[in-house]
Amino acid sequence: MKRRGFIKKAAATSAAAFVAPYILPSGRLFAATGTRIVDHVVFCLFAGGVRNLEAVHKADGNLMPNTLLGSESISSDISGGVNLIGQAGSQRLQEVGTLFKEFRFAQGPTGHFSGHSSVMTGVYNLQDINIRQRPNTPTIFELYRKHTDPSASALNAWWVSNALGPYPALNFSSHPEYGALYGANYIQPASLISNESYAALGNPKTFSNEQKDLVNQMRGFFDNHFGNQVVEGSAGVTNSASDKELVEQFILETFNNAASGLYNNPWGIGGLSGDQFNVFAAEKIIEEFQPELMVVNMQDVDVCHNNFTAYANNLVKADYALGHLWQTIQSTPGMADNTVLIAVPEHGRNAQPNTVIDPYGRYALDHTNDDMSREIFCLVAGPAGKVVQNQVIDQVMGESIDVVPTIAKILGFDDQVGGMLPGQHLEAAFV
Amino acid sequence: MRTMKHISIWALVAMIAIQISGCTKEKDIIYEVNDVDVQQPNANKDYAKTLTEFISIAFADLFGQNINQAQLQTLAVPYSGFGDLKLIEDMIIKNMLNSQAVIIPSDSEMRANVDQFLLDTYQKFFNRYPNEFELWHMKNLINENSEITPELVYYSMMTSNEYRYY
Repeated sequence: MKRRGFIKKAAATSAAAFVAPYILPSGRLFAATGTRIVDHVVFCLFAGGVRNLEAVHKADGNLMPNTLLGSESISSDISGGVNLIGQAGSQRLQEVGTLFKEFRFAQGPTGHFSGHSSVMTGVYNLQDINIRQRPNTPTIFELYRKHTDPSASALNAWWVSNALGPYPALNFSSHPEYGALYGANYIQPASLISNESYAALGNPKTFSNEQKDLVNQMRGFFDNHFGNQVVEGSAGVTNSASDKELVEQFILETFNNAASGLYNNPWGIGGLSGDQFNVFAAEKIIEEFQPELMVVNMQDVDVCHNNFTAYANNLVKADYALGHLWQTIQSTPGMADNTVLIAVPEHGRNAQPNTVIDPYGRYALDHTNDDMSREIFCLVAGPAGKVVQNQVIDQVMGESIDVVPTIAKILGFDDQVGGMLPGQHLEAAFV
Repeated sequence: MRTMKHISIWALVAMIAIQISGCTKEKDIIYEVNDVDVQQPNANKDYAKTLTEFISIAFADLFGQNINQAQLQTLAVPYSGFGDLKLIEDMIIKNMLNSQAVIIPSDSEMRANVDQFLLDTYQKFFNRYPNEFELWHMKNLINENSEITPELVYYSMMTSNEYRYY
């Protein structure tokens, strides 16, 4: 695979990166950025409504052995429907970071889109509208791209969603000072890496470098003679010409790999679930582009609305995916020991079940704003010396809107955006 | 004296003859301008194509037939799976241009009559004819660059801003 041609920050220790203000050739004043903790953040929205009872409190055994310490057996009544996969790495994520066991989704409806948009903007979304409406406050991608590097490429910010619906609308907001110019590269792997997409994109006409230059000449001529100019951002997030080529190559290579069967059993555990495939695609992006900011979600546990045991089984799969994601991060040059992984459920589930019984006799669970549906956990994993290792915080501490200011602090632009955000940096997790 | 009188008469007759021969009715000359279809490049193109319109029109422009619902749904899938819509459009256009079914002149046909090729291509994609400068510029570019193929011209037009509008 072709790597990016521009200089990357080296896998570093804690070198300060404070730059005095100076005037850019463009005339723009570039304000100093703060000190970075690490150069990369991967944030996982885990995993479609996870109740603390089944997660960190292990009411049915340890369903998350890649994340949590302990070897508690799976409850006997559901064990027949739960297939433990094992561990993706030698260490559990709890050992390489800080686990906030009593995190909260404190405000707003406990719905998937509200949960996603709240945690990705750092501002609670108090509306329970599940339509393709962009948030009106900037997302973490826009805050990062606008307030860190003046020329931050979209290749440095990725939003990897396992479902369509309203989630494509979260790569940038409708805020007039932000928007598509600062948005993330959005990808929904299940749609893009598909037979339909291969049919539409997979066999393109190729042009020589000289021909590409001629295309640019002709297109530039046409555009200069057209009175109406396309509004920047009207076609969504746009990659630069050079980045576009890299992304296009990446897409075509994934088609070739998928067509050749390389994606049939990439983790050696058999076919991947929807969540696992989504994380797998995120791993490919990590290996290819080493983005400074990535948000990836999982949603399969939402089957809990009508099947509790399947929810438990999907929680096992999501946990394995999270562990495998960490292994990939730690084996990718540039990101190893230079990345903080944050995992937070967008919300929990109700204390009381609904009336649907699964084949194992368990009642299903919804998430309709009761207290337990606001109880979630937060895991912050990262390199020793930067993130407090093997720490568990049992008391109620932290909430969903704290993730964005924490990422801002990690990537060194918190001084630019701190006043905009109501949440707090999760400093208890950091050295 | 008599001679002078003759001369005067003949001179008078000559003058009259000259006057008669020189006097012609002034022709009415009317200066007209040849009718030329004058349009601004963006005349009447204020609306951006929607995703469905773009795909449908591109398909029709290249294959000479309307896209059916199944084909439209197939092409819409990658749009939903990736956020850089221009990149996806570029890839869709290149994929279409690589199809055996695309209706496009050969390179030799293009070069046999570049003027006509450009007139036809502007009309196909921009729904107008090129102005004199556009025609001159593009003709020179094609004639001076053997690397330019009809596919290249089509691709450049279909990924230009004007093609996104109607």
